[in-house]
Amino acid sequence: MDFNFSPEDDAFRHEARAWISASLPEGWGRTVHEPEDETERYMSRLGWEKKLFHGGWAGIAWPKEYGGRGATLVEQAILAEELARAGAPEGLNIIGHNLTAPTLMHNGTEAQRRRFLPKILSSEEVWCQGFSEPNAGSDLAAVRTTAVRDGDHFVVNGQKTWTSFAQYAQWCFMLVRTDTEAPKHKGISFLLVDMSTPGITVRPLRQISGESEFNETFFHDVRVPCENLVGGLNEGWKIAMTTLAHERGPEDALGRQIRFKRELGRLLDVAKTQKRGKRAAIDDPALRQKIASSVIEVELMRLNCLRSFSKMLQGKPLGPESSFQKLYWSHMAQRMYETALETLGPAAALGAGDPATPARGMFQTGFLQSRAFTIYSGTSEIQRNIIAERVLGMPK
Amino acid sequence: MNFDFSAEQYMFQDSVRAYLADAWSVARLRRLMEGDGFDATLWHGLTDLGLLSILVPEEHGGMGLSFVDLALVFEECGRALVPGPAVETMIATDVLARFGTQEQKAALLPGIATGRIKVVPAVVEADGGSDPAEVETIASDAAGGWVLNGRKILVPYAGLADKLLVSARFGATAALGLALVDPTRAGLTLRPQALFDPSSRACEVIFDNVAIGSEDVVGAAPIAASVDRVVDAGAMAAAAQMTGIAARMLDLAVDYAAQRVQFGRPIGSFQAIKHRCADMMVQVETSRTAAYYAAWALSCDAPEAVQAVSMAKAYCGDAARFVCNEALQIHGGVGFAWDLDLHFYLRRAKTLEYSFGDASAHRERVLSAALAAREAA
Repeated sequence: MDFNFSPEDDAFRHEARAWISASLPEGWGRTVHEPEDETERYMSRLGWEKKLFHGGWAGIAWPKEYGGRGATLVEQAILAEELARAGAPEGLNIIGHNLTAPTLMHNGTEAQRRRFLPKILSSEEVWCQGFSEPNAGSDLAAVRTTAVRDGDHFVVNGQKTWTSFAQYAQWCFMLVRTDTEAPKHKGISFLLVDMSTPGITVRPLRQISGESEFNETFFHDVRVPCENLVGGLNEGWKIAMTTLAHERGPEDALGRQIRFKRELGRLLDVAKTQKRGKRAAIDDPALRQKIASSVIEVELMRLNCLRSFSKMLQGKPLGPESSFQKLYWSHMAQRMYETALETLGPAAALGAGDPATPARGMFQTGFLQSRAFTIYSGTSEIQRNIIAERVLGMPK
Repeated sequence: MNFDFSAEQYMFQDSVRAYLADAWSVARLRRLMEGDGFDATLWHGLTDLGLLSILVPEEHGGMGLSFVDLALVFEECGRALVPGPAVETMIATDVLARFGTQEQKAALLPGIATGRIKVVPAVVEADGGSDPAEVETIASDAAGGWVLNGRKILVPYAGLADKLLVSARFGATAALGLALVDPTRAGLTLRPQALFDPSSRACEVIFDNVAIGSEDVVGAAPIAASVDRVVDAGAMAAAAQMTGIAARMLDLAVDYAAQRVQFGRPIGSFQAIKHRCADMMVQVETSRTAAYYAAWALSCDAPEAVQAVSMAKAYCGDAARFVCNEALQIHGGVGFAWDLDLHFYLRRAKTLEYSFGDASAHRERVLSAALAAREAA
């Protein structure tokens, strides 16, 4: 056990820090912020993601043959820390980087990897995820969208929902039913679909945060070339499990921890300036305890990730320590945003546009967004079933 | 960077667990409710395994290893409810090896390594708990040494310890430091205390003009850092033991839920039970993360060691509270029965939860550090 960094790691950190500070706009996080308008904000995040790529900082842990640096997991963790320190924006092609890429590396053909990975890395092609349907949420294997073979194409018909970033995406990976007779887990296939194919309609859904990150996506006689099938016909469920493992794993969590840590830092600042009568909010002993809990829990989120990373570094299979990550961070983040609103006190009732709103309304938005954390990529109830049955071996 | 133990460290954990599974049980622990609370066979077994020599430097007959090598051992001690003063002596060993004079080390460490000498911390006071800032025991100047006056509570196994490691304020400057005091010294009174955990032993210790020599001060002159170290090491060891207890309670709950049938099904097949167990697992795993990190931070005096220890003590304390209570609930009526072993785990965890600073005090310490770091950034 050793948390010290090697001289090579330190050099890597300096390189990353210097590049980030030179690449973010002057005054970033103090006088310069992300655009208020949602579409502009996503486009600015896409711009940042492309900048990272051109600087050589995208997908650094990917194998060199696919355009990565073959960086170590430690270097990946260092880069995440440095991006957090600088308060750098998130990306837009998160699904492409975190889900499509590892899925193709594990299950794709060499031709698929060569075709898709470079443009994921460069964020020329943004991806969305077509898993959930109106009647297939927690019961994901109940998907009804069909794909019927017609010559060298599949013809896709059906509806997906909660399709994040579909309106910005060039590609979608989706679960489709290719055998309606088989037991539900055994008739599913995994397809890659070009979003510009005729027959696809994307309708943004407004979320409780007021944003429209996700969509309803309709497929009407959409023709998908057979070479876009990942894995074997009717073997999509197994592949979906790989995808979900990445969606819930330490790499994804480490990226999110950046944001929580950044906002926690802002919370400490706000707690010092917000008043409770004559004293500052931070001097309220009850509130101090809650903020302290968040300081601890956010740091333990990082350390939980590092513990999983260390197992991966030694080539050990990810055990229980990965399956619990999502359940841990989703609930701890919800507690953090509750505490943030409590810190604002009466100002919690202000909207983002009011000049008196502390931190430009980030905590009100964060609170609303956080309600989704325990729902998406598998609800907490589904995560608990998985842990109970597959990790603890409890009876079905 | 590597957040994992070595193959040797895991092997040592396995051998400790195997020994304890074979030689120790709650049934044997129950016997300690009578008598002096000491099991000589277990003590010799632990000594033979090398537990007490891990922190003793090689030049004094030990292995010269660190808290990282003990983190998994502390966890096993919690898991198996190993009675004191084993962990207590290991905490004292760390402090003596770091701050003791050559003479003190030569006099005590070889005996500790062979299991002959037991040293326990006496750092808790009725008003200030184990907070070094609140120590009220006084060591006044005297010819050739000091005179101790004060009162400590919950001094573990004081009746069979060879030395007490007593925190006190020394002389006119009220400098904090540790004194090594023989519990048989004149003026020192031991009063065995009735405990929440009846399988443990602890005494109130009253110092009424107890004369000690200057050579009995750890490091010869009072060292405030030595007092902090006892409390921090104690807090880390408590966090690791609570992690072991919580892990054991989770196992017991999962096993019970698999075999207990109601409504024609094992209760473990009900989501109401499964989901509790999943939440317990999340907290057990995160407790491990917190406790292991604290052990590493203390072992190499990392700049963030104080925060790491306080994070672990606060998190693991809350987690053990949650997991133990839920495990009892899952056992239903039988969980409330004296004859079932659960309450021994519950009592030990609760005792550890309030030893070496409770969760609130440690959260406060984490927040102060975080605010200072934010200020400095």
